[in-house]
Amino acid sequence: MKLFKLGNLVVTYLLLFFILAVVGTVFVRGLPGLYRALKVPEIVFAVKLSLYTSFVSTALCLLVALPAAYALARYRLPGRGAVASLLRIPLSLPPLVSGVCLLLFFGTTACGEALERIGLHFVFTVPGIIMAQFFVNVSGLITVLKGAIEAVDVRLEYVARTLGCSPGRAFTRVTLPLIKNGLLAGLILTWSKALGEFGAVLMLAGAIRFKTETLPVSIYLHMSTGDLDALMASATILILISLISLAALERKGAGLPGRVSGL
Amino acid sequence: MRNSLPEAGKLRLSGVTKKIGGFSLQDISLEVAPGEYFVVLGPTGAGKTVLLETVAGIHSVDAGEIWFDGVNITAWPPEQRRFGFVYQDYVLFPHLNVKQNIAFGARVNRWSKNGLEKKIEDIAALLGISHLLRRFPGTLSGGEQQRVALARALVTEPQILLLDEPLAALDPRNREALQQELRQLHKIAGTLTLQVTHDFEEAFFLADRIAVLDGGRLLQVGPPEEIFARPRSAAAARFVGAENIFTGEIICRDGKKFVRLDGALLEVNTGLSGPVGFSVRPEDILLNNSPQPGNCLRGKILICCEGVILQGND
Repeated sequence: MKLFKLGNLVVTYLLLFFILAVVGTVFVRGLPGLYRALKVPEIVFAVKLSLYTSFVSTALCLLVALPAAYALARYRLPGRGAVASLLRIPLSLPPLVSGVCLLLFFGTTACGEALERIGLHFVFTVPGIIMAQFFVNVSGLITVLKGAIEAVDVRLEYVARTLGCSPGRAFTRVTLPLIKNGLLAGLILTWSKALGEFGAVLMLAGAIRFKTETLPVSIYLHMSTGDLDALMASATILILISLISLAALERKGAGLPGRVSGL
Repeated sequence: MRNSLPEAGKLRLSGVTKKIGGFSLQDISLEVAPGEYFVVLGPTGAGKTVLLETVAGIHSVDAGEIWFDGVNITAWPPEQRRFGFVYQDYVLFPHLNVKQNIAFGARVNRWSKNGLEKKIEDIAALLGISHLLRRFPGTLSGGEQQRVALARALVTEPQILLLDEPLAALDPRNREALQQELRQLHKIAGTLTLQVTHDFEEAFFLADRIAVLDGGRLLQVGPPEEIFARPRSAAAARFVGAENIFTGEIICRDGKKFVRLDGALLEVNTGLSGPVGFSVRPEDILLNNSPQPGNCLRGKILICCEGVILQGND
């Protein structure tokens, strides 16, 4: 019995040590140069672009995921299970493959060309970064929100409606406040994943300095040119942001494991 | 059309059919008069909650019509019908305190704040929950939650109150108290009330009229005494507590009708003929070891050691 407990603890602490050592290697070495790096125009550009694209794509994910999650959670659709599974495809695809699919869709099909004609250019552009982040993350947010909405008794909405609420009002006055924590957790997760998205962004938007250079792309470019200082700086910024969002997630996370179980 | 007088304030279901999940309602037709306390009695799984939710407008009907106050409301959504609804397990808004729960309907309907405060105080006093207004639902007992749910439904003065087994989740003491309060409330407010329950005693105590529902079908509608004394089917009889259910055949002799029970003939007062089922309530049985006709009363059955002899009728 004691041996069993000891074994479990040793594995846990070894893993913890390993993670801290690996992340710390970059973090400790990158942190001193961080202030200086934030004055380098290319890094500043990457930070700004990353923040901009990740916020916009997270907002788009929310706009699309909320109604979709509500439909999947509440309506008796024919083939609801199949629809839910198919909507999870981007979640299970390697992001690089998602990027290839997006590139071929927007670059080689009539639909992509039609969008280009009305001014929506996604290939090798900033909107392409947003599109790639959106495509990769929207399924995850749908899954989180669907779980959160399902955890709210639908009869609360029924009662609200007998008291005079329209379906939309019943949702905003009853269900939305009750899924607040799940929603915030989902948004933090979506945003931090968007911030770190590389594979799909690389395929659709390319890795073009001062054009589609997000922080992960910046790491990739600096790695390929051997600029270790800039690489450390970009990586450290991403680690910092991840740690902050992890802390925010933990704070908002009362009862979270159940709600994020879909991920 | 509105206000053909006999229809005023009346709830009428006509051939309502609804299938949802494992539950179904089949061809439900009934009328509930204004101010009536109407109880639908049925076992678990009979479709009682679906019936209430359909009346509230939460589920659309597959077939049939629902009329209220002379208006066909079949296509109306719940927010247009605004019938008060109270669930068995209260379903209070967990993120709102008691006062906000009660005020919910009024806020949605943009009542003036002054009138609302007074209204909430009055209804909270009536239900004995004035001291709970700042508490959250999670901290309340079952009885308290049920009173809050009632207050929330009543504060907007709905024209119909729908109660889904409102006493089922309560302990016996609370149950009896709330049962009395429901009757009082109904006397005061005079709201047409449609309640479902599986408890015959509760139905008997509260109802002006009872409908027996089983397997999604209405078996019988009538005043409690009639349902109790003259259940029209074996299922209804069993549901109102009849234990001794027999089958036999109506026999005519000398212009009187009899049914055979064991070796004896029971005189019955019925319009039926041919094979029938019938029940004998325990309180109508007399036990005696002297099988003399004079030892029995009219309407009772005398049973002695050797068997049953005929006495009385009905």
